[in-house]
Amino acid sequence: MPAPVTYRGMSLVIPDNDSEWIEFYAHARAHRLMMRKCSACGLMRYPPTHACPWCQELGWTWQEVSGRGTIHSYEVVMHAIQPGFKEITPYAVVLVDLDEQRGQPTPDEALRVIANLVKPDFTAEADANVAIGKRVRVVFQDLADHLALPQFTLSDEPPEGRVWRLPE
Amino acid sequence: MARLDLTLERGPDMASIPPIARTHPGGAVARLDLTLERGPDMAPIPPSLARAPAEPWRGSVRRDTVVASLAAVQAARQEESMAQGLRDKYCIVGVGETEYSRNSGRTTRATAVEAVRKAMRDAGLGAGDVDGMMSYQNNDSTPANWVAGDLGIRLNFYMDVIGGGSSTEALIGLAMGAIEVGMCRTVAIFRAMNGYTEVRIGGTGARSAAPVRGQDLAQVPYGMRSAGQAFAPTFMRHMYDYGTTSAQVAHVKVAHSRHASQNPKALLKERVTVDDVLKSRWIVKPLHLLDCCLETDNATCLIVTSAERARDLRQRPIHIMGVAGRVSKPRTDFHWAAGPVSRVAGYYAKDIVFGQAGITPDDVHVTGSYDAFTFTTMLQLEEYGFCTKGEGGAYVSSGIIELGGKRPNNTAGGHLCEGYTHGMSMVIENVRQLRGTVDDYCPKAADGVHTHDYSPGKCRQVKDAAISMNLGWAMPPTGSALILRK
Ligand SMILES: [Zn+2]
Repeated sequence: MPAPVTYRGMSLVIPDNDSEWIEFYAHARAHRLMMRKCSACGLMRYPPTHACPWCQELGWTWQEVSGRGTIHSYEVVMHAIQPGFKEITPYAVVLVDLDEQRGQPTPDEALRVIANLVKPDFTAEADANVAIGKRVRVVFQDLADHLALPQFTLSDEPPEGRVWRLPE
Repeated sequence: MARLDLTLERGPDMASIPPIARTHPGGAVARLDLTLERGPDMAPIPPSLARAPAEPWRGSVRRDTVVASLAAVQAARQEESMAQGLRDKYCIVGVGETEYSRNSGRTTRATAVEAVRKAMRDAGLGAGDVDGMMSYQNNDSTPANWVAGDLGIRLNFYMDVIGGGSSTEALIGLAMGAIEVGMCRTVAIFRAMNGYTEVRIGGTGARSAAPVRGQDLAQVPYGMRSAGQAFAPTFMRHMYDYGTTSAQVAHVKVAHSRHASQNPKALLKERVTVDDVLKSRWIVKPLHLLDCCLETDNATCLIVTSAERARDLRQRPIHIMGVAGRVSKPRTDFHWAAGPVSRVAGYYAKDIVFGQAGITPDDVHVTGSYDAFTFTTMLQLEEYGFCTKGEGGAYVSSGIIELGGKRPNNTAGGHLCEGYTHGMSMVIENVRQLRGTVDDYCPKAADGVHTHDYSPGKCRQVKDAAISMNLGWAMPPTGSALILRK
């Protein structure tokens, strides 16, 4: 088993039998954002789980996605809980609707991913730049030979729909 | 009950009469007009029928489909009558708690024993009268069988479940089930934790140092670990979807602080203003410090038994009209995927609990809505139908939820002000409200004599409270509910 990875004071543990995450992070380390795609109905899901929540099929294949999406909601942590995050506070956590599979299979569903909103150098994006509706793209923060964390950074595409952030 | 309009008649293309229709005077089945709709005088459509089309459906169907539809309707009727069959058959007969503090200085075993003993004395029950015990915890408490042993209680049933908020109501339902099937007769339910001095509920200390693996990898590596961090995007999306403001939601803290000023037990008795909330420091936007509850050391207990046994006990029995437990949105492992993100579990729980109780939100006099955060109370009151979806901000800032208002919420101050108990204290308070004996500053409160003067340091008894409701919260996608009457 690869040694646990220490990141911001946390111990990230991905044992050899982690049949959810081990390949996901190996792909991320190769800078590819991969989703599990149902071999029966073709719908993708995240996190990488073992059955299709829509048709219960067990078969799946990895499917690469563009990593582009829109901020669906967010928060800005002003008081960190984990000691390793205190030095980067304030930091934003974003809930992103990926472009693939928006509104499928029902209007309220989407391929959604949680990550930090970071600058290209992986430092925290400024609070004032975080807003629902802004467009983002995935970037990969390499942490070890077997592990990179997908993160999001603002893209230069125009925003989608209404742009909103918490009033000051 | 759902209304079923059936037309049973023989069509020219029908060869024989299907068995299901043979007893019907009309004869064979060829065409079925099926309308499922809720009449003004009817309880909600039972969950098993909830997948029927929202619009009344009419059309011709094959006769095997007709047979299947009728069987489904029969099964649904049976399910509904079963659920209603327990209405008013069980009671909460005893309540008790330890001091709310941030320095209990003793073990959860010690506080649990004190809380259970107080609830037994409140009910007038001896060690030989309690034969079931349940608790909930997150590896931060003492198991039920040790607590029972300390009090000389021999158990016919015990169970400790993993769980936090929303477990209170769920365990009350499970206790009713255990008694109903004859496993035991009277169940004490407790929650004991040193939520400030040992395993901090806010997620600092030991919790923040735990290794991150499995499902946690989807959120925790991004600095999303505490409850506030895990819930904040739900709150933020509600503000986006419906225009809810920080100032509106701050009224939840204001109301609960006013209530706490009438509660000698409360950790925070000082009344605060909307401005105080908005000027308190940010924790995780959109939550200010005063939008968040209080980590507390405390133990609490409720005792459930049959209405029949309850009649002979010390207190006025408080009847359980309906209960829904740990009802969930799809995919609670990662509920963001299913959406809508600003929807919470009450969306699914409300028909179950109101269906059992046979009442509507208008019939409820006092609520206890889990206030881990100001937003959780607002979201739940809205989702359970006390106002229209999206109007929760206006509802909680209207004065309705304050003592003296139409339907006060968390009259003891709740988790924001009285102290944090994972939901138990809000049920305890509602039991006392329905008894008419809340422990406020009225000199003869224990005898049910109240002034209904809601100025600071006075009364917090709701006048003529007959029906209460609890809205329990675990997280946006999981919740529980309980309706009680006197
Ligand atoms: Zn599928």
